Amino acid sequence: MNSLIDTIVDFLIRLTGVPQELSWLVLVIVAAVLGVAVFLFLAVNALVAVYFERKVSAFMQDRLGPMEVGFWGFRGGKRFWGGIAQTVADTIKLVVKEDIVPLAADRKLFTLGPILIFSAAFCTFIGIPIGYGIVVSDFNIGLFYVVAVSSVGVIGIILSGWGSNNKWSLYGAIRSAAQIISYEVPVGLSLLLVVMVVGSLQFYDIVIWQEQHRWFVFHSPFTVVAFVVFFLAGVAEANRTPFDIPEAESELVAGYMTEFSGFRWAIFFLSEYANMAIISLMTAIVFLGGWLSPVGGLLRLFGIPEGWYYLEGAVWGIFWISVKALFFIFTMMWFRWTWPRLRVDQLMSTAWKVFLPITLLNILFVGIWELIFA
Amino acid sequence: MAGEVKQYFDNIGIAIATLWDGLRVTMGHFVAKKRLNVTLQYPRERWPIPERRIGFEEANYNVIRSRLHVEIDDCIGCLQCARACPVDCIKIVTVKLPKDTELSALPGSTQRNTTSNGTARRLLVSRFDIDMSECMYCNLCTYPCPESCIFMVGGPNSHKQPIDYEYSTRDRNKLVYRFASATDQEVEYLCQQVGVPNPRKVQKERQAAFSTETADGEAKVAHE
Repeated sequence: MNSLIDTIVDFLIRLTGVPQELSWLVLVIVAAVLGVAVFLFLAVNALVAVYFERKVSAFMQDRLGPMEVGFWGFRGGKRFWGGIAQTVADTIKLVVKEDIVPLAADRKLFTLGPILIFSAAFCTFIGIPIGYGIVVSDFNIGLFYVVAVSSVGVIGIILSGWGSNNKWSLYGAIRSAAQIISYEVPVGLSLLLVVMVVGSLQFYDIVIWQEQHRWFVFHSPFTVVAFVVFFLAGVAEANRTPFDIPEAESELVAGYMTEFSGFRWAIFFLSEYANMAIISLMTAIVFLGGWLSPVGGLLRLFGIPEGWYYLEGAVWGIFWISVKALFFIFTMMWFRWTWPRLRVDQLMSTAWKVFLPITLLNILFVGIWELIFA
Repeated sequence: MAGEVKQYFDNIGIAIATLWDGLRVTMGHFVAKKRLNVTLQYPRERWPIPERRIGFEEANYNVIRSRLHVEIDDCIGCLQCARACPVDCIKIVTVKLPKDTELSALPGSTQRNTTSNGTARRLLVSRFDIDMSECMYCNLCTYPCPESCIFMVGGPNSHKQPIDYEYSTRDRNKLVYRFASATDQEVEYLCQQVGVPNPRKVQKERQAAFSTETADGEAKVAHE
């Protein structure tokens, strides 16, 4: 009973006294409402992250970024909130744009592509907790579910690339398939190491283990390596620079989204930033103790008695996980505006010749470490 | 074999070191206390105009064609420039004076009777519009002018009229420069004297008719 959907359905049934035969109706309604909530979360995430990314990139390149569109007096000046409503304006523009399907495109696949990509990102969020009991649905195989479903998006990428009937799109789609299949291996193996130590695929068990012992980054030197490999491979899974060869601007125009515009393109963007959030949240939960308070952890380490200054609890939990996730989102942007794109062969050799051996050895060493120290 | 293994680990080491180098550089710019940005938010901020040191006298530098300017007090309304214009962006309307009258004799007139060259002005220029959004800066209008009163701003003409380097507006209509200095009162009086329709009124009526035809013409007709 520690998922939102169970809690709310239970509460509503007890509150309204709905007969047992009609409980499925309550379930459907609550599921729909939570679905809308997740969608809104993703939309707001994309809005904020796009603005954030534009500002981060601007400051890293000694520019100002968006400065013109603002509201409530947040206008002008050279402060960071210069163009705070820029993404809102861009979204409105994208939504009201003409819906163009190229004549030569395969209409069905062209339509299905963005929907599939977004559905994958959307469904992934159902399994990701952002606090104790704050998850749409609690799986006992949550980790596996998230890794599996987030990879479904590649089907959407291939469909939209193939359906566009454009050689750039097709190149992008094929590259994306190759890339995601390759980087799925280090991601899965890095997580496997955590699962091996905890003995459960459930996110709660992983976080509770970290609460009882220590965060996974600090567990052993090998988990540090696993953390780095997982995060880098995750960046590749999210198709972001330096692993963004599926949409490499300078080579493939825009890769699989070349032919897309307006609302469909907005969906691509929404899912890209949703994927960033997924990778960041996953990293935070699995390796950095999720919603656990770093302040509380440190104080407990020094044997200071518990108190409000531990900054723990449901609300603080959401705060801490947001801080950790935002840090990783920022790191992804930092990578993007620093590193040049890898070549296709470099990308493959990084995955198969560097990340894979490292993670395999990691699993072995962590096993030995556990045998000796646990 | 051993060399290859060493190469492999060296590569990884170099990769990590160089990637970290790059990250340090960008982070340095991101957290810089004093923003090093070079962006200039143009309409609100401008670069100062540098002093011109181009190696020779400005008066000899006859290349600048910044925009057209007319010294309307010297204009005799001969229409030469309007005829010379290849894109017809100069619009001139004049009213002829009756015999034995002078421009300065018109009620409340500030017009001069002669140009600075001494030529008599026998026409009241009621309209002298140059649409600079149509002008192609060919300079052809300046040559036929007998009084040299139409000229390109800049270069040897800088002393007559200062250069407006940007000369940009947010409204396209502001690129239509209206040089005519004759007041409505003068035009009206002169037209009554001569017995011709007032060209300014005629123009206004035509514009009004045009706008009702196109913009809200249908709505008005439906209302009536």
